[in-house]
Order: sequence, then C-alpha cells, then structure tokens
Amino acid sequence: MDGRLRGVVGTIAARVGSALLVVWATATIVFFALRVSGDPLEAVMGGPGSQAGPEAQAAAAATYGFDQPLIVQYLRQLWQVLTLQFGDSYTRKQPVVDLIAANFPSTALLATLALLLAWVLAVAGVLIAQTSRGRAGQLVRSTLHGLETIASVTPQFFLGAILILVLASGLGWFPVTGSGASALVLPVITLAVPVAGYLAHVMHGSLAEADAAPFALSARARGASEARVVLTHTLRHAALPALALSGWAYGSLLSGAVVVEALFARPGLGRLLLEAATGRDVPVVIGSVSIIALSYVVIMLVSDAIEIAVDPRLRPAPRRVQEVAL
Amino acid sequence: MQFRTTAALTSLCAIAALALTSCTSPGAASDTAATAQTGGTLVYATGDAEPTCLDPHVGGNYPQALISTQYLEPLVGRDASGEITPWLADTWQVAEDGLSWEFTLKEGITFTDGTPFDAAAVQANIAHLQDPETQSSTGFTALTKVESVDAVNDLRVRFNLISPDAALLESLSQPWTAMQSPTGIERGMEANCQTPVGTGPFIVESWEPQQSVILVRNDDYATPGPEADHDGPAYLDRIEWRFIPDAATRQAALAAGEVNVIDNPLPIDIAAAEKEGSGIGHLDAPRPGSVNRIELNSGQTPFDDVRVREAFIKSADPGPGITALFHGAATQSFSPLGSSEPAAISDESIFVTDVDAAAKLLDDAGWKPGANGVRAKDGKKLTVRFPVSTNQSVAAEQSLFEQIQANTAQVGFDVQLEPIDLATWHKRLSSKEYEAVSAPYTKVGPDVLRILYHSSGVTPAPSGYFGNHAMLLNDDVDALIEQATKTTDDAERTQLYAEAQQLILESYVILPLYDQQNHFLTNGVTGVAKLGTVGTPTFVNTQLTA
Repeated sequence: MDGRLRGVVGTIAARVGSALLVVWATATIVFFALRVSGDPLEAVMGGPGSQAGPEAQAAAAATYGFDQPLIVQYLRQLWQVLTLQFGDSYTRKQPVVDLIAANFPSTALLATLALLLAWVLAVAGVLIAQTSRGRAGQLVRSTLHGLETIASVTPQFFLGAILILVLASGLGWFPVTGSGASALVLPVITLAVPVAGYLAHVMHGSLAEADAAPFALSARARGASEARVVLTHTLRHAALPALALSGWAYGSLLSGAVVVEALFARPGLGRLLLEAATGRDVPVVIGSVSIIALSYVVIMLVSDAIEIAVDPRLRPAPRRVQEVAL
Repeated sequence: MQFRTTAALTSLCAIAALALTSCTSPGAASDTAATAQTGGTLVYATGDAEPTCLDPHVGGNYPQALISTQYLEPLVGRDASGEITPWLADTWQVAEDGLSWEFTLKEGITFTDGTPFDAAAVQANIAHLQDPETQSSTGFTALTKVESVDAVNDLRVRFNLISPDAALLESLSQPWTAMQSPTGIERGMEANCQTPVGTGPFIVESWEPQQSVILVRNDDYATPGPEADHDGPAYLDRIEWRFIPDAATRQAALAAGEVNVIDNPLPIDIAAAEKEGSGIGHLDAPRPGSVNRIELNSGQTPFDDVRVREAFIKSADPGPGITALFHGAATQSFSPLGSSEPAAISDESIFVTDVDAAAKLLDDAGWKPGANGVRAKDGKKLTVRFPVSTNQSVAAEQSLFEQIQANTAQVGFDVQLEPIDLATWHKRLSSKEYEAVSAPYTKVGPDVLRILYHSSGVTPAPSGYFGNHAMLLNDDVDALIEQATKTTDDAERTQLYAEAQQLILESYVILPLYDQQNHFLTNGVTGVAKLGTVGTPTFVNTQLTA
C-alpha cells in the first residue's frame, strides 16, 4: 500500500471509529435518559395517563421485553443498533428501519439543496461585495455585510414564518405546505439563509487576507481584472475554511430540519425524531440519531475529499518527488 | 382522554398570525357568490398529534377520535342537547335491576368490506376492546362494567353488567367504542391500525405517515348519524387528512385556500374569523366532560384548609384574563362540567372576586404577611407549586396562569408555575408534588364527575394515573355519585349530579375556567357539523363551494 492510500484508509478508519463511538454513546445516553424520565410501557400503551388495565400492560411488557432486566434490554438495544435493525417503534408498531427509510430521503434532499443554495448565496454575495468599487460599492459592501450578520443570526422558525407570510400567503408564489417541487422552495430558503450568512462571513475574512497576498498583487500587476483575481486566485483560498465548515453546516442543517419540517408540515427525519422524543419512543430515537450521526460522518469524509481537491497543499506528495527529495 | 402535542413554535408565529389577518382573505370574500358543488376533495389540516394507529380501540386519544369519526360509527349517538339518539342501534331497553341492556340493531347495514353488521359483530367489537392484546385504554375504561355480550338473535344483543351503569349509553356513543368490521379486526393489529374498516360515510384508503391519510367516499353509506341532513352517501369524493403541527402554518394554508378545514386555531385567528367579511367560517365545538379548571390539592398543606382554598379562589380573578387572552373565543365557566353537558350546573356566587375577604381568610387561617409580600405560617411560606403541562396548555392558557399568579400574589400566595412536558407532569402528579394543577378530561356525560371527584379516584390505577387531582374526600359527594351511577331515571340522575356538583363547588377545590376549547375554521366549504359526543367534526353534509 502506498503512503497516500494508507493515509486515506487511516482517515476513513479513524472517522468510522469515531462514528461508532458517537453512535454507541448516543444509543446509551438515549436509552438510559428515556428510561430515567419515564416508563417506556407508557409509550406503548398510548402515552402518559393511559388507563390500560394490568392485563393489557403485562401483555405489552412481554411483547416488548420490558419484563426482562434492564441490562438485558440495554444489550439487546445495542445489538440492534450494531446490526442496524433498531427493532420496532413502540408507538407506530412498525420496524424503525422502515420509518427511517421512509423519512430519510426527504430530509437528506432538503439539507443537501439547502447546503448548495447556501454556497451559491454566499459565493454570490462575496463576489458582488469584492467587485464593487467606489462610493456606491462601499454602500453595497456594507449592506451585504449587514445582511450576512442578520442572516446568520435569524432563527429559522422566524424566517420560515415570515417567508410563509410574504411569499406564500401574501403573494401566493409558493404553496404553504405540500409535497411537490414548488413546496421545497421555502423550506430550502429557510434552512439555507442562516448557513449562507455564516459561510459568507467566514469567506469574507479569509478573502481579505488572500487579497493582500503577493499572488493577488502580482495578478493585478499583470493587469487582471478584479473579477478575474477573485475567481481564479483569491476565492480558492477564501473557500477553504468555508469548505471545512460545510460538514459542520450539514450537521446543523439536519438538526435544523426538525424546526423546518414542523413549520412546513414536511415528512422527514427531523419530525420523526421530534415526535419520537416527545413520545418516548426509544427505538425510533436511537435509530434516527444513529442515522444522522452516520450521515454526518459520511459528509465529513466528502468535505475532506473536496478540500484536498481544492487545496493542493493538503495532498500527500507524489512518490517520485519524495524520491528526488531523498 | 386527550393528549395534545403541539409544536412549540407559537410565540413568534402568533405575531406572524397577527400580521397575517391583515394581509389575507381577498380570495375567500367571494364565498357568498360561490355555489355548493357535489364531489371534490376536502383538505383537512389537524394540529393534534398524528395518530399512531387509526383504530381508536387501540390506545384511545382525541386525535384518533377526530379522524375515526369519518369512517367508524358507534352504536348510539348524542345530539346537541345531550340526548342519546339511535345510530347503529335502533332501540334499547334496560332491565329492572339495571344489570342488562338489550339493543336492537339497524337492519341491512354492512361494513365497507362487505361484512354484515350484526349481533356477532357487536360481540367481536366488545371482545376486541376488552382484549389486553388490543392495548386499549379509553375504550377499555368505558366498558369496565360490561361482563359479557350475548347475541339474542342476529339483530339483537344483550350487554350483561357486573353492576348497574347509568353511563353505559354515553360510553357507547364515544368514538373510542365505535364499531369495526370483525373481518378487519381479524387481520391483526398492524393491518387494522393502517386501514380500519367501519360503516361510516368515508373509507380509509391509504395512510402516508407525517403526510396524510386519504379517505374516499363510501358509496353504499346507509346509516346517516344524528347530524346528517340527507340519506345516502356523503357529497364529497375524498378527504385528504393532513398533519400540520404549527398553528400559524395551518392558518396560512387555510387562508391561501390550500386546506378547507383546520382544527386547534390560535385564539386571535378565531377572533379574526368571527369578523364580518372574513370569509373564514368558525365552528365552536366545546368538548364534553369537565371544563378546563384549576384543581387545588386538598390533601396537603396549605390547601387542606378550606379557608386557604377559598382565599385562593377569591383572589384569582381569572375573568378579565379569559376575555383578553382568548379574544372572546372562550367564556368564563362557573361549573365543574362543560356547557355541552345538559346536567351541568353553574354557581357564579362562589367565584366572586373579593381580595379583602381573601386576606381576612388567610389571617384567620394563621397565614401572616411576611417577606416580599409572601405570607407564612410557622416559618413555612404560602407556596403553591403549579406544574403546567406544555403539551396540554396552549400559550393563552399559560398566560392566564401567569395572571392568576400575579392576582393571588397580592394577597400573599407564592404561586410557582413550572412549564414541563407531559411525562414529567404526570410524574409530578403521581408523586403529589403539586398544590395546584390544570388537567383536561374528556368523557361524554356527567359520569366524568365519578372519575374526577369520587374518593376512589385518589388511588392511582395500575398505570399510575388517578383522576381526583383535587384529592377530594367527601362522603356525601361519593354517595351522590354512586347513586347517580345506579339510577336509570334520567330526572333523578340529573338531580343527584346537580347536588354533587354544588357540593364540589362549595368545597372550593376547583376554580373553573372555561369549556375545553375545540374550534374549527373553514374556508370554501359548507355543511361542516359537529357531533354531540366529543365535539368531532363530521363531513357527511359537507360540500365545497369553490
């Protein structure tokens, strides 16, 4: 195995290892937290305050194994997680895998589109700001900076409510809720805007640094236009920290989906998780959190790969060069 | 029982909704000119939790009652005046000793899967409800006095009781005990939860969790219930039953015409709908059983002293808050029972606000003014722990509690409001860590008084649930309620319940607030009716007007 491949395998192994650790910790915390706060039998019997008779309770306890020692129940839960089986939902009486399979695509699509839109908005904003010169340009730049800040601190449920008010209810451009492509627009914008603001903010900082670097000066000296300097030289640099943040951003988009899915009445992992957590549906909570953790790890790997592709410095040196150096 | 899960995004969305009322409704204004049409799809958006099973025999909560009203029918109905009416059963008789009831069933009715509705079907349904495997809670509780069901002949059944149960008809009118096809039940819980089969005006076609349930018209519908204005099938082709947890989103979807009916609207949206020319219809359908009320725990200090309870009630002054916070959509109650209960009695004189009298009562009880205006006795502060279930109390109600907190503070109470989730709330109740609490309870008929105020209700059921949160131990109340349960004479029963209610009110263990809120807003439809049982809407008469 050459060094480059070994490096990649090592990285993947470390990531998978930490993923397993995260999933184990999550499953353990969720299992015990939901047990401490109440009886899972309640969830099975239709929620707190259910007045099921003792026979009904005994039957349900036997079906779900609640009559066994806690440690046995815990180990069985772990085994289910390890085999990605997760068992059956306490409240929906369906396999957790089916529930996740039915809900994951919708959330993944939402988060992916939102990340793409966030990048488009951030890059567009940075380009406009960078290429605006003069007195008018100053105004454009400070406006964009202000927008960045507002965007990154706007709570999603507030932004979503405003978008519904103005674009859906007021102007009637998009449906308030629904399952078609047009119903995706507002949720995607709602999720993307805060992330776009954050990404743009980070890019601006590093763009200013790159702008003052010698290679930018020499490009300008060769007569390159401002747009050309940004597009071919400085933006690459500016994009690096933003790329590194994208993995994190994707994770935050997955959790932001809880709010957005509830607001726009979309099916998805976020809503499934929210319902399961309030209903003390242990297998569903553990299952969906595990899947979110796993997809987070996958995204981190992808963003690492993209970073390497964009920044030559991160690539391991080719063997031939190493030999020469020796 | 009701368990309401509402998305907790309300406060800012309420502002949004406020703005919304000023920027919408042009599309709806032409409703008067539009004519009702036959066919089409009605879209209903619910803010209640999505059922985990569409068969209301399993578990048994309000979201299941809401949707199953569209496809299941009970043995008997209940009209707006509270009178029990025929439905799947035509007539009934109770034996002298009250220990058996015979029902004659309507002839020629079939479930939508072709199974005939007969005595065997009724037997199968009661067996299903009483089978522990079904995991029924509400239906199971309603039938605790039913020992067995005999088929006298094809269309005649006899219910044999363990002891007389005057509330049996009311129990059988609830959606949680409605009749389902035995063939459907035999498919097993999983299949029956997905597509339960009834005799109702609609049929469950499919269910996409978190998205919608599709109901289609039952073309052979033959048993119009008490609210139907015509014989035969419903006018609508289909109902798309959607789950939209956020109230502001539901309202926006209604205003935009994406949905035709919503439940659980915000008070401000109800007020806006009530305005002339809003184009939005409003159906007020208060739930039966108890009112929303604050119960004072008379089982421990300080409310074990009736003077302290009276002082709290005399200083709480909830009236102005109810008017303001609910924008006129809720009226103050002075009864233990909801206004839709014909047996309800009100006594406003008990709830007159009198701060001076309250202060004097506390003085007499030995609670002296102390630091920060909080009274104390023997070094103990006059603290009232008030756990609030955020799943069951809407924003307006929580604000009302805050006002009551401020009002009672003026005479020296230290009310500690604690917003918590439903599970923690139940835990606090069962460990008696509360002095005041507000708990809704939905049951058809005055028999709800037995669950909430009979002294047997202080002992928790095996599940840990107990109904008598006020910890009322009053032999006279017990005797009246027991007698009412056994009597089959309606007038006598009403009288007994009236006396029991008067005693409950005079014991100062409850502060009634208002009817359990249940409102529906409509856009582009006519003929939305409510059932007299638990206030669920029925669409058997409904037509689109768009």
